[in-house]
Amino acid sequence: MSETIRLFTGFGLGLRKEHHAEFLSAEQKVDFVEIISENFMACGGRPMRTLDAVRERHPVIMHGVSMSLGSPMGLNREYLSELKLLADRIQPLWVSDHLCWTGISGHNSHDLLPLPYTDEALATCIANLKLAQDVLERPLLVENPSSYMTFPESTMSEWEFLRVLAEESGCFLLLDVNNVFVSSVNHGFDPLDFLSAIPRDRVRQIHLAGHSQGPEGMLIDTHDAPVCAEVWALYAKAIERFGPCATMIERDDAIPPLDELLTELGLARHAATIPA
Amino acid sequence: MILLDAQRAFLAEIASDDDVPSSSLGMAIYRNAYRGRLADALTVSFERTRRWVGQEMFELASAHYILTHPPQSWTLDAYGANFPEVLAELFGEDPEVPELAWLEWHMQQAFAAPDDETLSPEALAAAGLDEGDWEHLRLAPAAGLVSREVSHDLAALWHALADGETERSVLRAIDPAMLLVWRKDLSPHFRLLDTGEFAALKPLLDGASFGEAASQVGEPQLAQFGQWFAGWLGEGLFSALRG
Repeated sequence: MSETIRLFTGFGLGLRKEHHAEFLSAEQKVDFVEIISENFMACGGRPMRTLDAVRERHPVIMHGVSMSLGSPMGLNREYLSELKLLADRIQPLWVSDHLCWTGISGHNSHDLLPLPYTDEALATCIANLKLAQDVLERPLLVENPSSYMTFPESTMSEWEFLRVLAEESGCFLLLDVNNVFVSSVNHGFDPLDFLSAIPRDRVRQIHLAGHSQGPEGMLIDTHDAPVCAEVWALYAKAIERFGPCATMIERDDAIPPLDELLTELGLARHAATIPA
Repeated sequence: MILLDAQRAFLAEIASDDDVPSSSLGMAIYRNAYRGRLADALTVSFERTRRWVGQEMFELASAHYILTHPPQSWTLDAYGANFPEVLAELFGEDPEVPELAWLEWHMQQAFAAPDDETLSPEALAAAGLDEGDWEHLRLAPAAGLVSREVSHDLAALWHALADGETERSVLRAIDPAMLLVWRKDLSPHFRLLDTGEFAALKPLLDGASFGEAASQVGEPQLAQFGQWFAGWLGEGLFSALRG
């Protein structure tokens, strides 16, 4: 297994079916595209034909939502096999998933559910991550999700958990700046504490996204709005700390025309070049 | 805290009925997201069915399905697989509802089914089969090919709904027929077959040789079988030569 992931700098978007025709008809002003892995696993027909064509023009990142790294019952081997088949076919820049669990005993919530930051959860995630990296024959990127509750049993912070996870498993990190901001508001921590504890040499990608207002002052990670000013400011701080790395804007709902997202991506290019 | 026990309790709570209040604001958010995501998945997968039964009935059916059918796959795209069966229970007086939902579901499944190259008449001709080869010829079904019996003109209903028509007058009962869904090249297709044509086709789909299928049709129907076979080939019902 390769033990490192080469730094790739650039600015990209998620490949969403609303924009497939435009990505097929012409080269778009993105340095990479990110796909949701599960949308293309065990799949053929027009979706796979589209992905094959897009990857002729743009590097591809595979971003998963169902690995369930925090599952004490272990990972789904069939899932890993299908993911490996897709990775072998696509040859992505890298494969990523989330610091979360998604279900147990075959019941998949299709959500990124929160973990308590305990030694048991850490050991679970490390073991699962090592297995996934062995099967996929590559180090993975692990993303911090937004969360809406904490556990009194936690014995460390999320950023400490991520730091040890990266050290012990050899994984790299996908820093979702919007998720840092959302969780900081929901749980009352300073987002700069989060950034300053993340090892500089482990971040390979940054996600930016919009969120919405939930009940009782909570923020919800909905990916249905433009990136807000606070997240842009935090992104500038992240670039200052981690240096240039692959940055993308996630939009999964209320998806605007591609031109609008490309314009917003231009803001990311600009924000990455000015001092925080 | 035992992680597995905590996760079992968490999952049970977010998948539970509204009668059970959430234990915290955070849990309420996760529960709301769980239901919303599954309901959205059903709406996307069964858009025509929703228009046919109406928003209110569709929401009731979705809510029942979400409570009784926890998602089992790693892909949300698979969530609606059993929805047509549940609709058959809920809409016992309206059998066109599960028939329409079944068609809608399998058209989407065929769209993204794993690739099998369509066997064209030209490709079969180029294989240069002699009489003995034909006797033993076995064909694989096209990508995403499935069938079921129906008792309504699903083609008329499908196209009427595509045009925004939801009046009951577009519904027409027919003698029991077989509804076939498959993908030819990149496009999903469907067609109603009368029971005689399907009875001739089914052995080939099940792996019988051309000679075996022809012998089941019988001598008086052989010319008809040949015509049907040419039609099936043109429609792209087969993907490859077996063995």
